[in-house]
Formats: sequence, structure tokens, C-alpha cells
Amino acid sequence: MKNRLKVLRAERDWSQQDLADRLEVSRQSVNAIETGKYDPSLPLAFRIAELFDMRIEEIFLRG
Amino acid sequence: MAEKTKNVGKGFSGRQPGFWAAAFALAMCAIAFAEHRGLLGGWRSLPFVAAATLFLFPLTKAANNRQAAAGALSPATRRYNRRMLIWSLGYVLCLGIAMTVRNYLHPQGALLWGIAVLPSVPMIFFVWTLARYVVEEEDEYLRYRQTSAALIGLALVLLAGTLWGFLETFGVAPHVPAWWVVPVWAIGLGLGQMVMTSAERRTGRT
Repeated sequence: MKNRLKVLRAERDWSQQDLADRLEVSRQSVNAIETGKYDPSLPLAFRIAELFDMRIEEIFLRG
Repeated sequence: MAEKTKNVGKGFSGRQPGFWAAAFALAMCAIAFAEHRGLLGGWRSLPFVAAATLFLFPLTKAANNRQAAAGALSPATRRYNRRMLIWSLGYVLCLGIAMTVRNYLHPQGALLWGIAVLPSVPMIFFVWTLARYVVEEEDEYLRYRQTSAALIGLALVLLAGTLWGFLETFGVAPHVPAWWVVPVWAIGLGLGQMVMTSAERRTGRT
């Protein structure tokens, strides 16, 4: 699943570690999600959406 | 949440976990070879096995450092590494006690059964350690990663065990004691971690 995490992070000038700290996950998790290697669970997807104040489908894209 | 990178060692103390794992494996292979040649055997091997086990200390430290550098050292991972180290030492200790009692006391009956079972006891705690990690790990990606590595280790045990079992049945391979499942599983766990890391690098990470 594609996502806009890297772009959203860059817009806020956050490093992967910054985002990881805000989500309370490992930097490796952020990396895995950003690169599409791992799709987050629904609870984590909601946390990401809440952090960026967006809807889940605005961050995670089909295909 | 994973701990941030801190004080990743350089030089001798900063070597990769693979170096210490290889050193441990080589030492054990050398002991096995010496036993095969009749130079060691039984309780005489124990001091050498105990010395080789010391490699597990820098291995655990190097694993912690590497995981911290990769942004993947969660508190649960640290506990997992520590417990694995403790029970690896416990395994060597139980094995040493069992072999010493057998060689010096020549027990029979219930005591013989007891010391035969003793080296298997730490295995219960290996499994418990893995189960506790899955329960305690709050980072879902790290949990997925470790679970995948454990499944690769299990796959290796099943494949190697089945293959060797049939080779033995058809008389083309010598008998291998069933306790070899532990080192084979440990090797599989390490290979699983390498497979996961390799997959991550292919997607342009780490």
C-alpha cells in the first residue's frame, strides 16, 4: 500500500526519529511504513492520521 | 518505543553481532572436531564449552548496539536479548551439571532420568522468552519482524529434521542426536534476522 508519510513528514521538517517519537514507535517502523514494506495496523494508522490531523485515506492510498 | 542510538562501540568492542556469532560457532566446531579426534570428550569438553559461551556476552552487547543504531532497540528487545543470554548460560550450566554427575556419580534410575532431563529445562525458558517478547513488544513492526525470523528458524528445524530423518532411515547418513534442534533453530533465527534485514535493504532502507 502506498502512502504519503514521507511527504507529510518532510512538509513538517521532521526526521524519521521525530515522527517515531511522536507515534511512540521505533524509527525502523517508520522506515518500514514509509517505504511500503509494512502496512500499519488500523490502530496505528488512526494514530498516524490523528497526528497529521488528516483522514486515513488521505495518507494511505490503494495500489 | 525504540531507544535512540547511543554509544555504539568502535573497534574490537564495536564489532558486528555476526562476528561474535561466527566466533562462537567456530569455537563450538573446534570443540566438536577435538571430540571427534578423541582429544576431548564428555566432562573434559566442559571448560572449553564454558569458555566458548563467553562469546555470548559480546554477541549480546553487539546485537544491542546494532539494534540501537538501526532504531530498533525497544525495551522488550533489550529484555529479550538479556533473557536469551541468561538462558544460554543456563543451558551450558545445566549441561555441565548433568555430564559431571553422570561421569562421577554414575547414577541410575530416577537420578539418571533427572540429569537427562536437566539440559532440556532451559529450552522451556527459551520458548518462554520468545512468548514473552511477543506479549511485551509494543512496537508492531518489530514484533512482526521477530515473529517472521522465528518462523524462518522453525522452518529450518522442520526441513533439516525431516531431511536428515529420512537420510538416516535410508541408511545414507549417520545418526544425529535430537538435541541438535536447538543449535539448528538458533542458526535459523539468526538467518531469519539476516533475511529480514536483506529484505529491508532491497526496499532502500536501513
